[in-house]
Amino acid sequence: MGIEVKNLVKSFDKKVILDNISFKVDDGKILSIVGFSGSGKSTVLKLISGLIEKDSGEINTSGGDIAMVFQYSALFDSLNVFDNISFALQERKDLRGKYTKAELEKVVAEKLELVGLSGIEDKFPSELSGGMQKRVSFARAIVTEPKIILYDEPTAGLDPISSTLIEDYIVRLKNETNAASIVVTHQMSTIKRTADSVLMLYNGHAVFEGTPDELLEERTPYTKQFVNASLEGPMKMNA
Amino acid sequence: MCGKILHKVKIYYKATYTYKIFRMLQSEVESFVTTLGNVALFGLEFLKGLKSFPTTLKAIMEQASRFGVSSLPITLSIVGMTSIIIAMQVAGEMVKQGAGNYVGMLVAILMVREEGVIMAGFAIISMIGSSMASEIATMKVTEQIDAIRVLKVNPVHYLFTPRVIAGTLMMPLVVIVASVFGILGGAVASNLVSGLTYKAYFDSVWFGLNIHDINVCILKSLAFGFVITLISCTCGMEARDGAKGVGIATTKAVVWSFVAIVILDLIFAAMFFY
Repeated sequence: MGIEVKNLVKSFDKKVILDNISFKVDDGKILSIVGFSGSGKSTVLKLISGLIEKDSGEINTSGGDIAMVFQYSALFDSLNVFDNISFALQERKDLRGKYTKAELEKVVAEKLELVGLSGIEDKFPSELSGGMQKRVSFARAIVTEPKIILYDEPTAGLDPISSTLIEDYIVRLKNETNAASIVVTHQMSTIKRTADSVLMLYNGHAVFEGTPDELLEERTPYTKQFVNASLEGPMKMNA
Repeated sequence: MCGKILHKVKIYYKATYTYKIFRMLQSEVESFVTTLGNVALFGLEFLKGLKSFPTTLKAIMEQASRFGVSSLPITLSIVGMTSIIIAMQVAGEMVKQGAGNYVGMLVAILMVREEGVIMAGFAIISMIGSSMASEIATMKVTEQIDAIRVLKVNPVHYLFTPRVIAGTLMMPLVVIVASVFGILGGAVASNLVSGLTYKAYFDSVWFGLNIHDINVCILKSLAFGFVITLISCTCGMEARDGAKGVGIATTKAVVWSFVAIVILDLIFAAMFFY
């Protein structure tokens, strides 16, 4: 089933951030959520991951763990890569003590290999580049074999080549885990390379839902403005 | 017409300093009540978590060494100097008045009942409480706390437990060492200032101190350690809005911890010495 969101509503201080948002993401598929800054994209991820409470609506998931990759990686800077990746296995109430040191080392090595970073277990986040930190946060996210992976602007602040690498890993993780994924992004390259479907938000409403190809066809004033990165159009920056 | 006038008065009133000062006071009161509520909530959450002991001995030892070892030099300096100042001011006069036999008792009682524990508390707040608050606040504003939550680990259990346990257990040790150091400092100062012999000084210390004072001192330092770490961690957890938020959280942790231990000190004084 993946993720099914129905009539989701969320407000902060009487300001409606999400107004009746509905969408569905099947297992093994990637939905890109796009829109201006402040349009409520990250709020959707926070609601699905349980970091904040919804006002109304439904969020149904296929069960299992939900993983989230944060915009600036959010690696624990006082822990090395090994402890960052194995954090959930070492500290989660239901998993604590279930893994021996050797098993933890095996799992961490497997996850690091999956993101192309073998052998950096002893390094600290401050010793890694932005792209490497992002990939370590991917490895940390998938350590509990989640059924849903949420990416909050995974290519933000990265150079184009690192962005491409990250986009490739998003697709690779989807194929390896068969998880339903949501990628919040501003970048057209990320949408083109990773997304199976696209949802565009503006002012708390869904103004477009379709495939990346349909987005690029610029059929509506919203998609036309977004694809052309134009200031002219129905979406106003101060909204 | 009447509505328009009222509206204009309202606008005029909002621009006055009285209104601005009132708003500032209101915001401070709100912040105090919120922090107080959060200290209670996080305190309960911490106690609830103790059942499953959600930490390791290694994590507690790390925090304990930070708490004890890092804070000891500054704590000893403050407590030592305080006792020397007290001894310098009273020893000469007391010896002149024929009360030299009470100098050691005076310094020891002051150290054990009050100065040792309160000065150690101030030193711990400045050094350890502030660093705990800023560490957790930085984790909060960089989404590390959110990451802990998404990984299904309770951040209060994970972050508070080793810190609060280490703080509560280490505080009495720091206070005992500091108080002993203070009494020794008082002995040296009394000897130099008034020629009081070390024997006379320490005889007076043994005569004046009793087990009740030491028990209350240990109990008080346990309470101080618990409260300082709990407030510092809570203020860190309340942080928001980037670097500015980290600064605010740290200041808040230091100020509220100072206020809390002075209030606690008053309560202990009323309970055990009134």
